[in-house]
Amino acid sequence: MISLSTYLLTIIITSMIMNLALALYGIFFKPHLTKKIIALTILGDTANTFAIIVGYRRWVFSNTPSRPPVLVNYTNVSQEELIKFVNTAVDPLPQALVLTAIVIGLAVTLFLVFLALQIYRLYGTLDVREIKRLKG
Amino acid sequence: MKHVLGLIIILLFIIGFSLVLTVAGNYILPSQEIRSLAKYYLYLAYNPWHRNFTVMSPEAVTSIVWDFRGLDTVFETAVFYLAIIGSIALGRGIVKYSKPSGKLGLSLIVKTVTRISAVMIIAVAASIALHGHLTPGGGFQGGATAAVAPLLILIIFSHYYLLEKGVTKDLMLFLRSLGLTGIGIVAIIVYLMALPQGIHAYVLQNQPKPDSSIGLPAYIDGQLISGTLWFFNISEFFAVMAGFTIVFLLITIPERAFKKEEEVERQ
Repeated sequence: MISLSTYLLTIIITSMIMNLALALYGIFFKPHLTKKIIALTILGDTANTFAIIVGYRRWVFSNTPSRPPVLVNYTNVSQEELIKFVNTAVDPLPQALVLTAIVIGLAVTLFLVFLALQIYRLYGTLDVREIKRLKG
Repeated sequence: MKHVLGLIIILLFIIGFSLVLTVAGNYILPSQEIRSLAKYYLYLAYNPWHRNFTVMSPEAVTSIVWDFRGLDTVFETAVFYLAIIGSIALGRGIVKYSKPSGKLGLSLIVKTVTRISAVMIIAVAASIALHGHLTPGGGFQGGATAAVAPLLILIIFSHYYLLEKGVTKDLMLFLRSLGLTGIGIVAIIVYLMALPQGIHAYVLQNQPKPDSSIGLPAYIDGQLISGTLWFFNISEFFAVMAGFTIVFLLITIPERAFKKEEEVERQ
């Protein structure tokens, strides 16, 4: 039995796996350091999207969608509302971990950019084949 | 070696693709249930009936980031700190460089638009950081948003404009150290509060725990601040914003500042 939602989700997952493969290809086979860094950011972002999908939750009731993990009217919340929130909200843990990963990824990318800039200043090229040949 | 790597990548792709094709119908759709750990987090993020376990923040992600898994975030801040320190170390040894004569930056229209939007970016960033415990957002997101404003000014006005306005590397280093010190102090503030009273408390404690009756107030003057979360978010905002601004300042230093140094070395 093929449903439309399964098909659409499969397209998303397939394209993400494709993305992962392309990013790995870019990291290993592109000789230019800037392109390697771009491929690395694509790899990181794809991994983060996978983590977000892991934490997603299917609609519990067919007419109410899953909620973000934020309690909206917290000022006069009742026990029943809280239980309903717990039963419909998506998993917040992957989101928290992805948030951490994004900031670290950004900092590491900036560091790598600096490293590449320094290599360019010292060797005058960003091609890894050239840098390997220079043996400096 | 290169061929082996290529083979591994192709194999990984085929295995992953086959997995998708095989289990598509059953496992790709997310389930209706989430992990019981996530339920625990969601249930205790804001729960006035379990005051000894809750964080008192309606935003479950921020509760996890700064309370349930606070130590993770402290280490993450350390990694961020090291990456920025590494960047500063790579950008050291710059000789004095003078401002070139003539008109700098882009056209008047772009400059005017930037003048308006930079203020708005800072306002939005402050809002994201200050409401991090109520709505999606927090110190990281706010800091990263705020760092866009100096980046825009660097590109559109020029590197020297920002320096003349007083936004130097040293000032940003100072702000960043202030933010990191703030995180350190907030992490042990409940412990320091408990020390004179003879109660024991934990590092990164926010609300009272079953065996430690002390904690920061969740409400101040009727406003929800969720104890330590608000202070963590503000400190992190300054640390992240200043950290990124340092890197942007370093990356836009004109290339001749480095070339000159090499020439000096050759002589």
